[in-house]
Amino acid sequence: MSATNVVAGWQYRNSVRARWVLIMGAIFALMCVVVTLLAFRTVRELGLTGIGPASATLVNLGVLLPSLMGLLLGAGSVVADRESGMLSMMCAQPIRRSSVATGAFLGLTGSLWSTLGIGFGVSMLILAGVAKSSDVPALATLIGATFAVAAGSVSIGVMVSTLVRSRVQAVSIAVGLWIVLSLGVDLALAALAPSLHMGPGALLFSILVNPLEAGRILALLGTNFHGTALGPFGAYLLERFGKVGTVLVLSGDLLAWIALPLMVARRAMSRNDL
Amino acid sequence: MPELLSVEHLNKAYRSGWGLHDINLELPSGVIAALGGPNGSGKSTLLRCLAGLSRYEGAVRIGGRLVDGDPASREDIGYLAQTVAMPEQATIGEVIDLFAQLRGVDRDTIPLPEGYVREDHQRIEILSGGQRHRVALAVALLGTPSLLLLDEPVANLDEQGRATFWRVLRRLRDERGVTAIVSSPSPSELRGLVDLALHMDDGSLVRQEDLRVDAERDQDNGQAYAKETCA
Repeated sequence: MSATNVVAGWQYRNSVRARWVLIMGAIFALMCVVVTLLAFRTVRELGLTGIGPASATLVNLGVLLPSLMGLLLGAGSVVADRESGMLSMMCAQPIRRSSVATGAFLGLTGSLWSTLGIGFGVSMLILAGVAKSSDVPALATLIGATFAVAAGSVSIGVMVSTLVRSRVQAVSIAVGLWIVLSLGVDLALAALAPSLHMGPGALLFSILVNPLEAGRILALLGTNFHGTALGPFGAYLLERFGKVGTVLVLSGDLLAWIALPLMVARRAMSRNDL
Repeated sequence: MPELLSVEHLNKAYRSGWGLHDINLELPSGVIAALGGPNGSGKSTLLRCLAGLSRYEGAVRIGGRLVDGDPASREDIGYLAQTVAMPEQATIGEVIDLFAQLRGVDRDTIPLPEGYVREDHQRIEILSGGQRHRVALAVALLGTPSLLLLDEPVANLDEQGRATFWRVLRRLRDERGVTAIVSSPSPSELRGLVDLALHMDDGSLVRQEDLRVDAERDQDNGQAYAKETCA
């Protein structure tokens, strides 16, 4: 078994046993169930079919909570091992140091995906009663986008964890990043775009630099929402690239948000003192 | 005896100043060296550099092979950090398995007597500080590397744990030619247990004492005194 896989397995086991991860996972599953049941009731009362209302709410839930969990999980990984001395013991073994960062990313992403899988799984069981076959792509896009945002968040968290020297610092940066990405960027851009006369290039840039926004728009695209539901940035993307092009651009962006921070983390692990 | 460890002009600089200054050291196979010096003298930093955990200028060779970024260059090193806090929920077996897999050795290759480390299924959270330290020590000895870098290995151990540790270390030295550097803030306490004493101060290796020579001289003096007395 490769060192990366060994570290991934170790991180996975420790993560799924951590109390706060279990609590956050339970909260996520509970919220998924509540949201789905409420939407399910609305659908039946209005005599509608399909999963639209439920999936629209699950999009926001699926972007916000998993991204926070991912950032916190990643941020607390390498730096906590550094503080405890475990990192030194691991890196003194005949392995590449970068495999510790990759292993942490894989293990923690696996743990977060398991948690999300349980939450979404329960929701899907409830939604199975009203879902149509045409809803499957929408659900698949929603779950895919959520999992990608979660992986990107873990990757950013692991990067932060390799660059700072204390766990408090790492967690503070992770929380700050989450606030900025989930609220700050959108609000700032919405306020500044008109006054700064932001052109198409700046609008595109503002979407691509925020993986949460990219994930949200991608998930909504699958649900066939258009216009205001996608927000100004989503509407702009649709107009410029069309639906398939937008899906490709956003998917590529999320993949980059997974790969680039991980590369920085691997490099930091290889070059910096432990 | 061939040199196992060779350190040439090792320098370690921090932004705030020197961490280690022009360390030169050669150790043959089959010796136990005590690394002493006051707090902050650079003992842990030196061990971390030798283990490949900190960047430095200069050259470190083990068995003639340069220790660098290549993982294979660390195959012959066993390292024990000064403090190791293992995850509370993990079991002893999981910790040992992790390091055995990373090292690529069988987990039964720990050269410690049965019972030194508690049972595999026990969680770290129920272990005392000393018992946790024994687990970390077991991890450092996995696969019996030819160079052991042990940062205050007996600090948390009780008397029995210390005695067993020294017995095992001497056996590894005598039977397998293992070389060990054992850091301690008070190396004088290790007299009689180690072969060499390395003294550090302010990031420099200021003195090396071959205690084997002292021991042989003491033994010779003792024999001469006995002869004179008998005569």
